[in-house]
Amino acid sequence: MKFLSLIVKNIGRNLVRSILTALGTMMLVFVVTLVWSILDFLNLATTAKNTGIKVIVTDKWQIPSQMPFTYAASLASGAARKEGDIKPLDSMTWQFYGGHVTKDKVQRSFNTLIFAFALEPKKLNTMMDELDNLPPGQAAELADAIQKLEANDQGIILGPARMKTLNKKIGDTFTIYSTNYPDINLEVTVVGTFPPGRYNQSSAIHRDYLNRSMDVYKREKNKEHPMARRTLNLVWLKVNDNADATKIDQQIESSPEYSSPEVKCETASAGVSTFLDAYRDLIWGMRWLLAPSILVTLALVISNAISISVRERRTELAVLKVLGFRPNQIMVLVLGEALLIGVLSGTLSSWLTYGLVNIVVGGIPFPIAFFSAFLISANALWWGPVLGGATALLGSFVPAWTARNVLVSEVFSRVT
Amino acid sequence: MTSSTGLIFALAWRDFAKLPTPIWGALAGSFLMLVLLYSVGQVPLSYNIRNLTVRWKTTVMTGLAFTLVLGLLTVMLAFVAGMKRMTEQSGHPDNVMVMSDGATDESFSSLGFSDIGDIETQPGVEKLGDRWLCSKETYLVANQPVDHPQPGRPDRRFIQIRGVDDPEISAIVHRVELFPESKWFSGAGVQAVAGEGTPGIEVVVGEAVARELGNDRLPEVRAKAKNPKRLDVGDTFQMAERTFVVSGVMKSSGSTFDSEVWGKRSVLGKKFGKETYTTLLLKAKSPKDANALAELLKNYTKAALNAQLETKYFDSLNATNIQFTIAILFVTVFIAIGGVFGVMNTMYAAISQRIKDIGVLRLVGFSRLHILISFLLESLVIAMAGGAVGCAVGSLVDGFTASSVLSAGAGGGFKTVSLRLTVDAFTLASCFLLTVVMGFIGGFLPAFSAVRLKPLDALR
Repeated sequence: MKFLSLIVKNIGRNLVRSILTALGTMMLVFVVTLVWSILDFLNLATTAKNTGIKVIVTDKWQIPSQMPFTYAASLASGAARKEGDIKPLDSMTWQFYGGHVTKDKVQRSFNTLIFAFALEPKKLNTMMDELDNLPPGQAAELADAIQKLEANDQGIILGPARMKTLNKKIGDTFTIYSTNYPDINLEVTVVGTFPPGRYNQSSAIHRDYLNRSMDVYKREKNKEHPMARRTLNLVWLKVNDNADATKIDQQIESSPEYSSPEVKCETASAGVSTFLDAYRDLIWGMRWLLAPSILVTLALVISNAISISVRERRTELAVLKVLGFRPNQIMVLVLGEALLIGVLSGTLSSWLTYGLVNIVVGGIPFPIAFFSAFLISANALWWGPVLGGATALLGSFVPAWTARNVLVSEVFSRVT
Repeated sequence: MTSSTGLIFALAWRDFAKLPTPIWGALAGSFLMLVLLYSVGQVPLSYNIRNLTVRWKTTVMTGLAFTLVLGLLTVMLAFVAGMKRMTEQSGHPDNVMVMSDGATDESFSSLGFSDIGDIETQPGVEKLGDRWLCSKETYLVANQPVDHPQPGRPDRRFIQIRGVDDPEISAIVHRVELFPESKWFSGAGVQAVAGEGTPGIEVVVGEAVARELGNDRLPEVRAKAKNPKRLDVGDTFQMAERTFVVSGVMKSSGSTFDSEVWGKRSVLGKKFGKETYTTLLLKAKSPKDANALAELLKNYTKAALNAQLETKYFDSLNATNIQFTIAILFVTVFIAIGGVFGVMNTMYAAISQRIKDIGVLRLVGFSRLHILISFLLESLVIAMAGGAVGCAVGSLVDGFTASSVLSAGAGGGFKTVSLRLTVDAFTLASCFLLTVVMGFIGGFLPAFSAVRLKPLDALR
């Protein structure tokens, strides 16, 4: 205990230096927390699961995948057609509908853009990552929005960031002038919002509204819409385990129903990996260049501060030795100072980052592939103390060793 | 550093004239400040240098922190500059790109067959003999299974495919050249493959994609290959259950076409179920004519078109670049603040060790301002030495290739590309400015605390 109080007192003796070192540590731990949270999320998204697997069915050879909607019903049942075939636990269809809230092409920009998923609203609760596991308050809010979208298929659920950018609020009605479905302009009413975070920029509309509008187009124009046979972009299937995923893959790929275009099945993690492959060098840079360089910088900052501190206190360290402190105790004293600053500032930094980014900001807005924002990983709560502590120990080892080896005779021979 | 780093600096120097005015202003301001500090400061710089060398361990450690921060910044900015250069080199100001109305990208476009013939004969389109310089294309992104993925890589990849009707015309319009021995695919677009009943599809591949596909080969196959580093003329690869035969390799032009596979449109369109045209690229006589042509096509009444200068289209693919730049700025600011705290520590320590020096300097007649400038210069010397090394080390990435994505943002298209990291004038100027700012801020507060010391108190 006395040792600890001595460490605390030593830290307080040069408060400016201790504060500067702590602030430096906080800044650098903050950046590493951001970077590692993104990497942690991508790692999770690309790691194959053993249970509760999502299988994605898409066009076999092309992206964007565009399949006829007639595929939807049979794909949703995993193309089960004979005895012994299995059906997925749940399924979801995806149709991408994009457009602007203004008709004027000159005024169109990112601020007027809506990129919506046309789907069955109830699937938002059961099939979408993170939305199936919300805290009670947010879950109730989303459930209410879903119910309203079920009741009114001309509704739209907007992500909070998109709603703010578009300057809309719940209850507003407006028209989306489509860019990928020419002449299919949908009038929608905002019925709710997604929770902040991953779905900040997302929008969801009822698939029935889009499909009905395509039928109306055919009736009125006496011809099919150019997109008519390409409205289904993806089908998600939820299956028990890898064995079921393989079985359903075989059922679908062997089905004669899907010939134009052919379809393929892959697990969600494999699909995400393929998309992220284009970012591999960027991710490599973040993992192996950015984060390590920051950690080395952090170790240097701490090392420098502790070195200076040891150099200034050579006489005092010699006195401690004269008073009976053993070399290892001196070393622990110096390491303890660094460790305490590192752990405390690291903890403060990562915990603050967790709270601020997740609750106040609603995620790190760094769009990669189809992820628009990243939440700070819960792991950050232990990353901070460990990062701060580990870099402090690493950076202070040499100065602590120097302090350990201070020669009393040499120090006092110079005292005037 | 090395001679190559020197060359990079020399090449980047040529780009300095193109820097935006605010950067020039900041650079000029920084130089002026340094010159002013040096000329106004009366305490010899050698005094500071000597002090730095005496406590060389602290100096080196502080400088190393700068080296790391500036090295990182250089690498990150080289990535952004590489992407920017790629989008700039991919489009030509005398080309007009035509897609269907509402299409935000080539992959979403679908042009009516009946309109094509009329569009290419619009006034302003250049001719080569009796042929219009109009590249008629079907662009698509294919999903290719990879039989032998490299460790840690997925077993599928996206390949950008461009089917063209007349490769010679397309090559002129896109300014694409082939390597010697390469040739464009034949009129039929297919050729017999030994041992296979179905003919192979002839394609010309960009150099970057040739490298990527070449890496799929097993080591023993690569060792015996004509070109172990990339696919070459006569090599084959598999995609969509067909054999593709390489008839040529496009020379790298630093554009997105380096990452594309080109083939006969009629063959590729049929194979991938995309038989409509997606893109028309019209070459005008001059950028002025191209502008007029784009305007004319915007008001084209026979079909709803999205016509724009090719350069404008590639500008729109800069969304990823903008996001990366913002992220880099954000990260750099926080790392720099962390670094500044490190310098402050060093400078506070330097001052506390030299309190008596300060007292003596004041007594022999140096003013508070001279002391302030002296310590500021000391901080700047550490910053600039460390920063210069960081910048030089970071510059070594110039010319390295990296994979990335060009995207128009949500709902828009994207292109997977292989870009060359580029250390340009903007990168060097940014590094210099950040070094000066970090050195100045890190030195100012400690230097200010030094000038507040009274001479006699300092000597006690």
